[in-house]
Amino acid sequence: MDFSFPPEVERFRTELRGWLTANLTDDTIHAARRGTADPHAFETVRVWNRALADAGWATVAWPPQYGGRGATALEQLVYAEETIRARAPLPVNVIGLNNIAPAIMQYGTESQKHALLPRMARADDIWCQGMSEPEAGSDLASLRTRAVRDGDSFVVTGQKTWTSLGHHADWCQLYVRTDPDAPKHRGISCLVVRMDLPGIEARPLVALNGDADFAEVFFDEVRVPADALLGPLNGGWQVATTTLSHERAGAARLYAEQRLRLEELVTDLAKTEVDGRHALDDPVTLRRLGELAVRVDYLELLCKRSISASLAGADGFASASLAKTVWGELGQDIAALGFDLLGADGADGRWAQFRLTSRALTIAGGTTQVNKNITAGRVLGLPRR
Amino acid sequence: MNLEPTEEQLSLRATVRRFLQEKASVADHVRPLLDDPTGMTDAGWLALAELGTTGLLVPADHGGAGMTMVEAGVVLDELGAGLHPGPWLSSAVAATRALTRVPTAGETGKLLAGIADGSTIATVGPLEPAAPRPAATATADGDAVTLRGEIAQIADAAAADVLLVLASDDDGTGLYAVDTSSPYVAVTPRRSIDQTRKVFRVTLHDAPARRLGPAPAEAIQALVDDVLVASAADALGAARALLDLTVAHAKVRRQFGQPVGAFQAVAHLCVDMYETVELARGGVLHALWAADAATPAQRHRAALRAKAFAGRLATVGDTAIQVFGGLGYTWEHDSHLYLKRLLSWSALLGGPDSYLREVGSQLVHELNPQGADHEHQ
Repeated sequence: MDFSFPPEVERFRTELRGWLTANLTDDTIHAARRGTADPHAFETVRVWNRALADAGWATVAWPPQYGGRGATALEQLVYAEETIRARAPLPVNVIGLNNIAPAIMQYGTESQKHALLPRMARADDIWCQGMSEPEAGSDLASLRTRAVRDGDSFVVTGQKTWTSLGHHADWCQLYVRTDPDAPKHRGISCLVVRMDLPGIEARPLVALNGDADFAEVFFDEVRVPADALLGPLNGGWQVATTTLSHERAGAARLYAEQRLRLEELVTDLAKTEVDGRHALDDPVTLRRLGELAVRVDYLELLCKRSISASLAGADGFASASLAKTVWGELGQDIAALGFDLLGADGADGRWAQFRLTSRALTIAGGTTQVNKNITAGRVLGLPRR
Repeated sequence: MNLEPTEEQLSLRATVRRFLQEKASVADHVRPLLDDPTGMTDAGWLALAELGTTGLLVPADHGGAGMTMVEAGVVLDELGAGLHPGPWLSSAVAATRALTRVPTAGETGKLLAGIADGSTIATVGPLEPAAPRPAATATADGDAVTLRGEIAQIADAAAADVLLVLASDDDGTGLYAVDTSSPYVAVTPRRSIDQTRKVFRVTLHDAPARRLGPAPAEAIQALVDDVLVASAADALGAARALLDLTVAHAKVRRQFGQPVGAFQAVAHLCVDMYETVELARGGVLHALWAADAATPAQRHRAALRAKAFAGRLATVGDTAIQVFGGLGYTWEHDSHLYLKRLLSWSALLGGPDSYLREVGSQLVHELNPQGADHEHQ
């Protein structure tokens, strides 16, 4: 049992921290907060992504042949801790780097790998992922967008929704039904599709806070070249569940994010008076902050146990899935405390905004309820109805 | 970073678990001792000593195994899972750590050897933070020392042969040994929510004592942290055992033509319990490691968090009773024994609120030291 990090990992931390201190500007940090709706901010984040990629800090988990560092799990963990602590923007292509690139590395042809991966890492191309549909949310495998083979093309018709960056994207990793007669998991294929093909229309989907980070994407008889197929025909489900075998510390983002959020709340509260006294002098507030601080620390330990289990060759799934649930509820509770104390316009309205957007934390990437069903069945062994 | 148990730790766990199942089950050992002030049998204690558990933390040159709190945590987890009522935590952890945390001399070696081979049972107190006045005061008259005062709360005093008392003296605070057989020591049971935990008030009427050494504040803090972390490990064992019982019940209990665990409303209650247990497990493992391997500040931070989480951990008992339904509300069923074990941990040395506030204050101070200084002006 050892919770400490070896010296070489601490050296990695020092090197990264030094680079971030020298290169990350306030302008870039603020751009991250403004989101994708502001064109200047969006471009600033892309420039930042290029700087990271050129210095070898964009894709540390990727193998060296694709421009990565082949970082160890602990180095990846430190990478997540340090980039979040420094308030560096999330990569524009965060979904691409973590979810799409692994599938391209595993299933792509050599020419796909070399044409697509470096440009993805530098945010030269923006990527989106066509998964959710109006009638296929939590039950993703029931997706209906169909692709019919016609000569040297697939003809794609259907609709995707909740597509992050869909209206900005150059490329889409698209999941389509290629065999309508097969059981639902076995009739899906994965295509890599250029977003400028005729028949594709991406309409911004405005979220509850007024921002348009998502799109609805419509496909109307879109002719996609047959060589866009990624992985086996009708093997799309296995492509979708590809995890980067060298990406082993994704869970570290979860606690690092909530720790930063809680620290920001304390910083904002330090400047705040409630009912004529310092917010941080109120014992009830201190108790609520204490409760959140324990949960942040315990989420960190849960994530580290998951990473340690994977390193030891055991199954880290149980803790990783739990960590996602804990992360979502914790983020909502931090936001709720911020809004309770700072109201609609305290700290530039940041906590009101987060109070609203935190609702997504228990929905995006699988709802908490579906997650609990999976844990109940797969971890606790409870029967299915 | 490697958070996996060693082969040695797995084997220790299996040994203790087998002993408890075969020789100290809830039905045949724990329940008959619910009203017994010692909470132990001589045979049961001897067996725990023969397994080497009582000397786990005793240094090797005093006949022990010289292990760390991580190994003690393995035993505590199993004892908590088995609702074990004896003085193991008091003697093998609290008293042993008092004797090794405090720079002692004199009969310390003999006491440690006795604890290790099981021939001596010891306990330590008082451990309450910031008492308004010292609970006990030592008076020296030549070579003879006596203690006077009242220790409001001390665990396992009826089972113990020796009380290790933190008493005020001319040099501040010292650690003293008092034999419970003395007619000048009065041991009175205190009301406890948990009949598997034996708590007492001890009154010292100029009781003869031996001074073992000075007890500086940092050593006392380390000892209190050790006791908190050990108690947290015990409570974690109770919570995860109760989770297992509850999930097993939800798989077989049928209503409306199906196992109740197939209803999502019930399944999600079980997942909530699991979430709480797993969060606590990380905290306990980290605090056990920190007790011997981290800086004093990290150790204290981890112990504080384990204690601050105690209220949340007790909800595992509440939810279990909900899943068991009417059955869980009966005396005959073991759920209430687990809930009470969790509640006595939650109440130990103060309820969760004060600890949560302390964690909150600590967070504020770490991020905003100037603001915190302002508070103290």
